[in-house]
Amino acid sequence: MTSISILCLWLFTGYIMSNYHVVIIGGGGTGGALAHDLALRGLRVTLVERGEVTSGTTGRHHGLLHSGARYAVKDQESAIECIEENTILRKIAPGTFEENDGLFVAITDEDVEYSHAFIEGCAECGIPTQQLSKQEALRLEPNLTDDLILAVRIPDATMDAMRMPLRFFATAKKNGVDIKTYTEVLAIRKQGEAVTGVQVKDHTSGKVYDIGADLIVNAAGPWSGKVADMVGVEVPIRPSPGVMVAVRGRWCNMVINRLNTSSDGDIVVPQRGLSVIGTSSWVVDDPDNLGLPPDHIQAMYNHGTMMMPVLKNAPMRAAWSAARPLIGPRKADADTGRELSRTFKCFDHVDEGVEGFVTITGGKATTLRGMAEAAANVVCEKLGIEEPCRTREAVLLPHTAYYA
Amino acid sequence: MAERDVVFKVLRYKQGETVPHYDTFTVKTDENTTALVALQAIRRDDDPSLTLRHSCHHGSCGTCGMRINGEEQLSCVVNVQELGTPTVVVEPLQNAPLVSDLVVDMAPFFDRYTQPEMPYVRQSEFMPEADVPDGIGHYTRYENCLECGLCVSACPVMGSDASYLGPAAMAAAWRVVAEPRGSDPEFALNWADNEHGCWRCHVAYECTEVCPSDVNPAEAIMSLRGELTKRKFRRVFGLGK
Amino acid sequence: MQEYRTTRDGVRGERPLQAWFDVRKRNLGSWAFAINRLTGMGLIVYLVLHLIVLSTLLQGEQGWDKFLEIARSPFFLAFDIVLIFGILFHGLNGIRVALIGMGIGAKNHRSLFWVLMFIGAVLLVVSAWKVFTI
Repeated sequence: MTSISILCLWLFTGYIMSNYHVVIIGGGGTGGALAHDLALRGLRVTLVERGEVTSGTTGRHHGLLHSGARYAVKDQESAIECIEENTILRKIAPGTFEENDGLFVAITDEDVEYSHAFIEGCAECGIPTQQLSKQEALRLEPNLTDDLILAVRIPDATMDAMRMPLRFFATAKKNGVDIKTYTEVLAIRKQGEAVTGVQVKDHTSGKVYDIGADLIVNAAGPWSGKVADMVGVEVPIRPSPGVMVAVRGRWCNMVINRLNTSSDGDIVVPQRGLSVIGTSSWVVDDPDNLGLPPDHIQAMYNHGTMMMPVLKNAPMRAAWSAARPLIGPRKADADTGRELSRTFKCFDHVDEGVEGFVTITGGKATTLRGMAEAAANVVCEKLGIEEPCRTREAVLLPHTAYYA
Repeated sequence: MAERDVVFKVLRYKQGETVPHYDTFTVKTDENTTALVALQAIRRDDDPSLTLRHSCHHGSCGTCGMRINGEEQLSCVVNVQELGTPTVVVEPLQNAPLVSDLVVDMAPFFDRYTQPEMPYVRQSEFMPEADVPDGIGHYTRYENCLECGLCVSACPVMGSDASYLGPAAMAAAWRVVAEPRGSDPEFALNWADNEHGCWRCHVAYECTEVCPSDVNPAEAIMSLRGELTKRKFRRVFGLGK
Repeated sequence: MQEYRTTRDGVRGERPLQAWFDVRKRNLGSWAFAINRLTGMGLIVYLVLHLIVLSTLLQGEQGWDKFLEIARSPFFLAFDIVLIFGILFHGLNGIRVALIGMGIGAKNHRSLFWVLMFIGAVLLVVSAWKVFTI
């Protein structure tokens, strides 16, 4: 008798859990982490991405696992998110990071002046710091400039911009998420106020078909404005590109940051046998057409060289642009994007008269899991599902499991 | 800025078709335009149905491998104007199932690649003169291999032995033997020791020629052979394992 | 052993001949590989021909002398040079592969190739001289 009631309960919960179908638009870090989160909460999930996973913004960043120190003075909300997620990611994705920590280096008196506010800000946000003298820092990183005055060590790390999120995709796929790549959303279907599904085109076969959905999450990053246009709602997103330059040679083992307010060329991230110098910042309207201003490439070299003179003659491997999805008025006059917050937001568009359509955007690679948790909470609340988030503990599969 | 129009001849194929064909597109390029950026411009301006893989745009993720003018390359680090040809021919990698256009199925590659448990982070050999901060055992860095599949595409043996383990996987296996880091070198050696493994290689060295990340798979395969030969000799002459 | 999916996909099947002999845009190693295959097949064909020719011995002295006459013609001697090239290339490249496989010259396989080919070229010239003067 007990076993029958357990069976009934199992069938019933199984029915409830598989009944709701969520479609995620966008196969970046956010979409992948959200798919993973929702799958762990027992939902049926389909993720559509018009290209390869992580082909938009996610794969293109400089590969920094933020400690949050960069934002500890001016954007503490982001800083706290970063240090929390930094700690969680190291736990759930072991073997994914070059765990060499980072240094913030002061090379001018102005930098030294800033260091007081910096160390204070880090303390307020819970980011551990260790102040190093010039000699101590040079022993760790011999290629730092001789102009170095002091350095602060913080728990940055290098991540592989593609493979870290790929672990979320791999795990989601294993847990039953249907990941449809090269599948572009053509239209979002609506019945009255409620969205009912998406019309997609599979670019590998040219087939156009519909996917029904109880709820749609727009996780298209810099493209989320375009996706929101399809249902006629507004997402305040500013595609804000940055130029990065990868040079040949691993000129440091730790992540080297400039100890000052965020500016062009203020970071050098070592990755394999390369060193990546980043990042400039401006704003565009079309995330598909970023361009690559040559003066930005030169600026990366110039600023990087101030921290590490050896970079001056390092041969260039590649220069590229990536669009951050920053939250800010979509058609505003902001011209650099630096003043926009790096935190994330989840929008339920029910206030704008559309039911069943949620946008998660903003944020950064380091906070992908946190963004997913926030979005999954909104999704579950809307669907009336009371399942806790499990992504803080669930250890992810290796990235290779995604393809194999 | 020296702008120039370059013609791209791109292999096209969609699921269900019997044979691929080529489409030509003209792309405006400047002195910084890479083959990948040009292909993205084609997708944006001419044909949204063009499929290709890409992610990091700086030769680190290994997704954008393709054959450009017949040579295996990461398209993100190929400067179009430096190619010097009026027409650039772009084709998908060989020796992998074709999905569509420039996209190939990497599953067979990763099926082999994940066989021995191959660690992904290694001890950094850069700047050995540097101290390591307190609380960190040693500086670490990622393995060189980008898992891009260029070596598999360029290998002449892959074309005639579908079960061949291939250069990338065996290079990774040799890394496990050379530096186990908690994995089992015996397993990796035994795994490569068969007629589809390191003995199948014919020393064409194409894998090493096309590798964008200094892995040198050919030397790794030869090292596997050398190590196995040594062990077999020892076994034959009863010198223990 | 795990079963692996093959590369057959209906569109681009396995094309071993193309994989072996398409040396466009390829490097030294592929040329060595391709020529090695060619000379290998050539030597097999030669071996069969050789056996057929030897079998003329069964027809008695007359048949054999007749063959020797043809074999002494300059045209036929030129074929001998091709044969010697095949033997030298295949043999020396085989030595190269074996050496590299034992870890000798794995780092400078190109130099090893050219050293062996130089030896081969010298031997080829000497043999050619011998063939035409004896």
